[in-house]
Amino acid sequence: MLRTGLNMHRFMLKLARIMAYLGGAVLCLLVLLTCLSIIGRSLNRLLHGAWAQAQMPELATWLLGLGIGPINGDFELVEAGVAFAVFAFLPLCQISGGHAAVDVFTARMSARANRVLARVSDTLFAAVLVLIAVQLARGLLSKYGSGQTSFLLEFPLWWAYAASLIGAVAAALVAVYLAVMQWGAALSGTSSFKNRGADR
Amino acid sequence: MSDFAIGLLSFPALLGLIFLRIPIGLAMFVTGFVGLTIITGDATQPLARLKSETYTSFSNYALSIIPMFLLMGQFATLGGMSQALFKAAESWLGHRRGGVAMAAVGACAGFGAICGSSLATAATMGRVALPELRRYGYSGGFSTATLAAGGTLGILIPPSIVLVIYAILTEQNIAKLFLAAVIPGLLAALGYVIVISIYVRLYPAAAGIRPRMGYGERFAALARVWPVLLVFVAVVGGIYAGVFTPTEGAAVGALATGIIARLNGGLTRATLAESFLQTGRATAMIFFIVLGAAFYNGFLALSQVPQELAAFVVEQRLNPWLVLVIILAFYLVLGCLMDSLSMILLTIPIFWPVVQGLDFTFVSMAELHANRATAALAKGAELAPDMLAGISDAIAQGAELSREQIAALGLRRVNAGALAAINLEQLAIWFGILVLVVVEVGLITPPVGMNLFIINAMDRETPIRDTYRAVLFYVASDVLRVALLVAFPVITLFVIPW
Repeated sequence: MLRTGLNMHRFMLKLARIMAYLGGAVLCLLVLLTCLSIIGRSLNRLLHGAWAQAQMPELATWLLGLGIGPINGDFELVEAGVAFAVFAFLPLCQISGGHAAVDVFTARMSARANRVLARVSDTLFAAVLVLIAVQLARGLLSKYGSGQTSFLLEFPLWWAYAASLIGAVAAALVAVYLAVMQWGAALSGTSSFKNRGADR
Repeated sequence: MSDFAIGLLSFPALLGLIFLRIPIGLAMFVTGFVGLTIITGDATQPLARLKSETYTSFSNYALSIIPMFLLMGQFATLGGMSQALFKAAESWLGHRRGGVAMAAVGACAGFGAICGSSLATAATMGRVALPELRRYGYSGGFSTATLAAGGTLGILIPPSIVLVIYAILTEQNIAKLFLAAVIPGLLAALGYVIVISIYVRLYPAAAGIRPRMGYGERFAALARVWPVLLVFVAVVGGIYAGVFTPTEGAAVGALATGIIARLNGGLTRATLAESFLQTGRATAMIFFIVLGAAFYNGFLALSQVPQELAAFVVEQRLNPWLVLVIILAFYLVLGCLMDSLSMILLTIPIFWPVVQGLDFTFVSMAELHANRATAALAKGAELAPDMLAGISDAIAQGAELSREQIAALGLRRVNAGALAAINLEQLAIWFGILVLVVVEVGLITPPVGMNLFIINAMDRETPIRDTYRAVLFYVASDVLRVALLVAFPVITLFVIPW
């Protein structure tokens, strides 16, 4: 029992971390993409400028012909990518108790009261994150049905929803696991399920 | 029960949840969801909103600046920029009385210029400067208090994540807000340096002394700071000059600090992975609060509470300064309990309509005329001599120009709407900076200021009491600065063109 519990925890922790690494990697890609787009835009402006057109018109035209310029629809990719990253970061924030809370008043309460509050908040979180994942899936279906695409790149919006759904589902999984552990600890009488700060 | 009453009742409900340690974003989300359900009769509308609102909240382009700035802060730490800044400041100031503490403040200000968060600045600079302060014989309470106060510079000096959120909520220009924050941020640093020099004269035992360093050593230390300067100028300068959007600026900053960290050997596979985890945790925390706030504020707007409240305050014909001071006092108290970002997201949608209704005038019609006329004359508008003399007279006397004079200058007639828009922008920027400064005071106000705990936890020998006592000096300097910024809006606003 204890063994499976530990394995489960290790699995959830791993899941949260892998998702966070994925989110971080996507974030880095977006940084690179944005910088490349800026460089392309600046070069494009330079090549169109009076100096380049006067000094080396053939070269400038040839380079422009290669398609040197801002990356088309870069900000659409940033939007979709950041949404994916944020959803991917949620499980880690969940399992490491990273959400901002005010503990000035509860610090004076008994340990028992604090355990009850932790149970309430973990349960509420599980419910909300499951709801978010379910509704996001519904949103995905309606985008899929409507065939709505992004403005410039014209990629179907449901792709972005689908990418975000991965993180949302992982977050819901982790949150449900945490809530179940809280209740399990409460019902079996083992006083504490220590999750807060597990990954700091 | 009317929608308005439900909206009003949601305040105590929400605060109750928050004070019971329900995470702030979750509390706002739940209150908003339940409130919407009650007002609209069933859960259809909130559920329908949820289908797209999580995605649209998280994919907001203006918000994408936040994870990039967080990543940039991580890379800056890995690149040893905090050490370089502290070493440079310390080599120039360290031999003075209280000099190492002043250096810590200076380094915090420098790090604040490439990091958008107070807690991160306090934590990073604490790790770097606290051991040094203790080594040179600075007392525990004085050292921790200095770093806790210095940490608040992280958010005062742009880039600042809280300002990004404020800009989005009030639909203001991020670049202008960043620019307006520079002088108040530098004033804060200056105030802290003055506090240090007073403190070490009152309590000479609180600071040790070390010999001067040679100039060769000093310049060598200074030379290692150039990456920080480069990144700051590229990011904030680039955003302000309009070379790129704030998000693009953050991307440039993240890439630049990443490259510097790589060159310094600070960025390895292991540290990159760790910085992903740190960035991820902070990003998720912030965005979840943003989501909760979107839901809660959606509900509030539907209940009409912010609008009615604003109309009520306007009807009372209260002195606008009084209202402003009350609001700032409220922020000061709440700032002791809550992190600045949650507070801004929670309160600005309610307070901003109220403040908007207050009658502050920053620019008069005559000043606007004078400004436009001077610009037109500088461009070389050609006028008859007597017309020119008349215009110069009017400008000198601070009078409005006549219709003929405006036409002669080739200007479009400046209508009351344009003037009101200018004044509204000035008000938004001024109020934003004031709120930013005040909520930061909460971070170092005993007994609950979060920066105090972060720094105090790094120094096990120092009882928190000592930190509390020393930090009161910094709080006093903060309060003084707030008073100054309230009394003289020009300190904040003179950099904002209109």
